[in-house]
Amino acid sequence: MATVKAASVVTRQVRPILSLTQEDSRRRVLALYKAWYRQIPHIVSEIDIPKNQKQCQEKLREEFLKHKDVKDIRVIDMLIIKGQMELKETVTKWKQVGHVMAYWKDTVNKKPTDFLGKFLDGKD
Amino acid sequence: MLRVPLHKALSLPNLRQLSPALRGISSTPVQLEKIEVFVDDKPVLVEPGTTVLQAAAMVGVEIPRFCYHERLAVAGNCRMCLVEVEKSPKPVAACAMPVMKGWRIKTNSDMTKKAREGVMEFLLVNHPLDCPICDQGGECDLQDQSMAFGSDRSRFTDIQFDGKRAVEDKDVGPLIKTVMTRCIHCTRCIRFASEVAGVDDLGTTGRGSDMQIGTYVEKFFLSELSGNVIDLCPVGALTSKPYAFTARPWETRKTESVDVMDALGSNIVVATRTGEVLRILPRLNEDVNEEWLSDKSRFACDGLKRQRLVAPMLKNENGELTAVEWEDALIGVAKALLRAGGQSAAVAGGLADAEALIALKDLLNKLGSEALCTEHTFPQDGSGTDLRSSYLLNNKIAGVEDADLILLIGTNPRYEAPLLNARIRKTWIHKECDVALLGPKVDLSYDYEHLGDDTTTLKKLASGQHPFNKKLSSAKKPMIILGGQQFGRQDAAAILAAVQQLSQSLSSSNSDKEWKILNVLQQVASQVAALDIGYKPGVSAIREDPPKVLFLLGADEGTITRADLPKDCFVVYLGHHGDQGASMADAILPGATYTEKQGTYVSTEGRTQQTLAAVTPPGMARVDWKIIRALSEVLGESLPYDDLNGVRQRLTEVAPHLTRYGSAENANYFAQAVELSKTVKAQLASTPLDVKLKELQDFFMTDAISRASPTMAKCVQAVLKQKTSKY
Amino acid sequence: MAGNVVRPGSLADKFQRLKRIVDQSGGWKGFLLRAARIDEVKEGKLVGVDKFGNKYYENPMYFLGRNRWVEYSERYGYDYDGSQIPAEWYGWMHYKTDRLPSEDPTRPKYKWIKDHEENPSGTEKAYVPYSTTRPKIEAWKPPKA
Repeated sequence: MATVKAASVVTRQVRPILSLTQEDSRRRVLALYKAWYRQIPHIVSEIDIPKNQKQCQEKLREEFLKHKDVKDIRVIDMLIIKGQMELKETVTKWKQVGHVMAYWKDTVNKKPTDFLGKFLDGKD
Repeated sequence: MLRVPLHKALSLPNLRQLSPALRGISSTPVQLEKIEVFVDDKPVLVEPGTTVLQAAAMVGVEIPRFCYHERLAVAGNCRMCLVEVEKSPKPVAACAMPVMKGWRIKTNSDMTKKAREGVMEFLLVNHPLDCPICDQGGECDLQDQSMAFGSDRSRFTDIQFDGKRAVEDKDVGPLIKTVMTRCIHCTRCIRFASEVAGVDDLGTTGRGSDMQIGTYVEKFFLSELSGNVIDLCPVGALTSKPYAFTARPWETRKTESVDVMDALGSNIVVATRTGEVLRILPRLNEDVNEEWLSDKSRFACDGLKRQRLVAPMLKNENGELTAVEWEDALIGVAKALLRAGGQSAAVAGGLADAEALIALKDLLNKLGSEALCTEHTFPQDGSGTDLRSSYLLNNKIAGVEDADLILLIGTNPRYEAPLLNARIRKTWIHKECDVALLGPKVDLSYDYEHLGDDTTTLKKLASGQHPFNKKLSSAKKPMIILGGQQFGRQDAAAILAAVQQLSQSLSSSNSDKEWKILNVLQQVASQVAALDIGYKPGVSAIREDPPKVLFLLGADEGTITRADLPKDCFVVYLGHHGDQGASMADAILPGATYTEKQGTYVSTEGRTQQTLAAVTPPGMARVDWKIIRALSEVLGESLPYDDLNGVRQRLTEVAPHLTRYGSAENANYFAQAVELSKTVKAQLASTPLDVKLKELQDFFMTDAISRASPTMAKCVQAVLKQKTSKY
Repeated sequence: MAGNVVRPGSLADKFQRLKRIVDQSGGWKGFLLRAARIDEVKEGKLVGVDKFGNKYYENPMYFLGRNRWVEYSERYGYDYDGSQIPAEWYGWMHYKTDRLPSEDPTRPKYKWIKDHEENPSGTEKAYVPYSTTRPKIEAWKPPKA
């Protein structure tokens, strides 16, 4: 009991980044998702990438679902801030084609995880 | 030059032999009252006879010094350690002056500071301003201390332009570069040479500003420990020749590691830059190497860059080794292993780490083979390798310092384990210790009683009929060191049995039950770990039952040749250097050297230590145990460990001491070993005891790394050249 | 022709020019081949041919910069590029001089001047930079069996 109390004291003392509650952060996540979603047609037409709207939407969904298990509000907030930064960089074209295409990372080889793969790659 | 105990200098019979009773009295330490002195007003209680410098060190006050060194005799000639003592009219040299009761030592007073400044000024008047091109720059005592204690401005105006003192450089061999103009005459090198190395080659000529350090006549300063004067030199007068103009100390990355050139496991620091081993320096370990390092360990590091195996190789249809990809190599070896069924065997060389040893053993055991051998033999009769006490330097290296009688049997520690020899010499000089040698007459750098090299002497000793037995039994702490090389003889079992029986008879009458008399000096770094893990010593098993696939784990001594094997035997060499083993191989799997892997080594005293990876293995080379692990996966017999922790866990399962790093696991069951040794039927042969490394030129090139080292080759040439010189 | 003067730029003029071009190209077949190969068909005066068979044309009617051109030798096929123009024609092609190589007596003509070579980039003869430093690790060379 005492530990729970102590933990609550600790959590109360942590300064929030953006959101105060889980609901709050959820709202922000959805807002960010919508903002991205609305920008996708513009991104596709403005930036010369070999992807269509549907593929971009799928990628957007994938990027968000990557963090679906994050529960810590502060971490979610950090991700939201990062997402906003990415969005701004994309829409204002601070990103170039290569940067945008990095979301797909088609050219990156997957790192081996098994022993033999790592051995043959010469990497640990 | 050297201060030897009087009875030794005059070769008088030892006091001990005159009257054992007298010794009993003298050896009980007289408890003298401690005296109190004040260092910078901090009180400290010290033993009488403590010097001012030592007293200051006790309260954490470091007094600057050039000539003083903890492990060398006090010279007191640099005057840098001058400090003020209250009521003393002149400053005193702290390194040489014993404290008196109630002294108030001021290490920071105006007088002290002025004295230091003056000394610095005098030293710098004749010291060249070539720090920018000096190899000592960055690790130079003179540089550091002139910054800390020197004057902030110079009075040196060379109006007459007659220049500073200049001294001709000396050629003292291929290892040490001399720039004698930089010398400040601290005489540390001279004292090291005569006290520790036991070579009275260095000395001084001239007086005052004409004083010069040199070898008197034109000759090389050749010793198995000569590299240590580089570390000792407080300035850039003596620097490393192979390392000259290579790097600054602040540019290099230092990795603490362990040496594998001999079985002692000296602690080293590997200095690397841009993926290259630049130099190797000793690391302080009082139990092993103190702060010294043998020349082979220090200078053979350029062998790590030559003759390397950088890609896996397989023999093509023309019978030529050609580089292939790892996949092909592993599949090629795996095919051969599958074809062989259980008929495979392995020979482990002297540089193999415990991780590779255990992985190879596990793999071959899985394939149904038990034929895992080491290159160096050990008699299997009697207790064989079942009892650890039979193959360890049980009394530890540091234990040598307590011995009062050391009997060396069939060994030349000077070249087999130079730092052990330095310990024996240290004990011989500073303590009441006698040394006797049974084996070929060699120069051990100290006097010893030569008992001949006949095996009958050993027989007599074992049965207690030799005159030397009297000395042995009267000694309080005798030590017998048996050279591991004698195990290569046909009558090895009989030799070991004789030595074991001799040791046992001595220890049963010895009052100190912790004192271990039987000591075995192994030849190579991997031997103890291999025997601990359960390798069979010696390759006779392979000769008798030739396998279809033979693994050579860095085995380069040529104990197994193609002639010993059937025509269709597939030889796999797993190692890092192209040497004897690689030239007879059908497949080569390039491994890592001791500077490139985190590996466990057990020294001859049973001390487990690990090397750390300072650089990455070159080219496609991989860490040895990983190669074996990958091969096991290709074979479909995966070993149950994927990472270093896994292997080490397995090592712990086999023998827990193999992962207790830094500690030396004691061995026991001496008496039982002796009992078993009585079952030995073998008789001592009449061939005299012999050692391989008799002279300095034999010392430098003994393993795959040192054989590949150009510096070591130059050393051998230098020794041979010195031989033809008239000095 | 002297009788009916054609106004420059008129439709008739264009047709006449087309006819001249077709004639110069050796008929409609040649015209189409040329169009396919060099994407452009122009009429012009053949001012010279170099030793590789490249033909150099000039027609001051076109604007400066387009009034000198080369028709690469047949042997290059579709695989032609600018580095196939030899040095003596380079100056004329780039308007460094108006004198044709044959009209210029100041040009040095030595026996030892090497033939012009086209840029070998992308071929086996291309230059590849190499390191002149010694390798840090010397590899072991297996003994020859």
